[in-house]
Amino acid sequence: MIGEYRGEVKYRVVTALLQAYHDVLDFDGMKSILREAEMLHIKNIREENQDLYLDLFSFKKIISAQNCLLFDSSMLLFEIGKKFSFYLFPYGKKFEEIIHEINSTIITDWKVEIIENSEELITVSVQKCIFCSEIGVPCEMFKGFLVHSLEKALPSDFNIIHYGDRENTDHPEHNTFVLKLKIEKKY
Amino acid sequence: MICVKTKKVVLKVALLGDSAVGKTSLINRYTEEIFKESYQPTLGVNIVMKKLKINDVDVQLAIWDIAGQDKYELTRKLFFEGCAGALLIYDLTRHSTFDRIKTKWLEDFRKFARSDGVYIVIGNKVDLKNSNTVSSEKGESLANEIKASDFIETSAKSGANVESSFIRLTSQVLENFSDNVN
Repeated sequence: MIGEYRGEVKYRVVTALLQAYHDVLDFDGMKSILREAEMLHIKNIREENQDLYLDLFSFKKIISAQNCLLFDSSMLLFEIGKKFSFYLFPYGKKFEEIIHEINSTIITDWKVEIIENSEELITVSVQKCIFCSEIGVPCEMFKGFLVHSLEKALPSDFNIIHYGDRENTDHPEHNTFVLKLKIEKKY
Repeated sequence: MICVKTKKVVLKVALLGDSAVGKTSLINRYTEEIFKESYQPTLGVNIVMKKLKINDVDVQLAIWDIAGQDKYELTRKLFFEGCAGALLIYDLTRHSTFDRIKTKWLEDFRKFARSDGVYIVIGNKVDLKNSNTVSSEKGESLANEIKASDFIETSAKSGANVESSFIRLTSQVLENFSDNVN
């Protein structure tokens, strides 16, 4: 992992991420990622004070290990993103609040903002996404996070269709993108 | 699979087979050269990276050790996504694990992994020769029948043919995708 990663991440973000790994990949899957990241010592982080902060470099090591091991596994990354949203914001929060909070719980040089908001369509801009900064890694995980964050803020008879520009993961700035979330009634 | 001009490749391969056929032991032997006598079932999936070089191509192998228990039936199919190759493993001392290669593991691999994925049939625990219930002829015949790239008998305990099985699988996958590498 090359580069400077300045910033910090609330423990509760890490706890939610590990819980998401556990749900989708089970215990050995979660352990595989932490082992690859050389971060096995934080596997019980949920027992710590959740308002403490982990340095961004350590957090980024986990994300890099995830992207390395889950290479070519977009569906799993999307599922992990959805679970990550579920565990980080378990209670009925508005989508706007979630977007505000994700910026304030992961403090670094990145930005997530809603740039268009109507009844049928929400457009989200993600700049320097920390979940997919590696070349060749699609941002399925954070897309899953955004989709589920909106999904759970809506009544159950609504569906989210997500789309955006075709992602060129070989481009060094592919982690800056716009995602459109179309809200559709199921029936 | 990433193929860049520097001839570096990332490959996702899986170890498939019933529980306790020795999938994790084969990985431990290959990646760490260790063998543990005690059995501890894999919970979900255990993923290990291993670097190797084959014919001037640097390969980073993501080895997925996928739990064999039935309780993972629903989530297991997600684990197969993007899988370029598999070792289909049975226990030479348990005939039921041999039968399930064709009826269960090959079927799942074909259904959920890459359509051009390759696979090798592995008969593990060859060190327990006296207790073997599946003959080498049967293993070979199955490999031919299901059009596997190869049939190899291994022992995670002694290390026999373990490394060569992974190298053979990787070579087969590369051969299959040679157009992408060059």
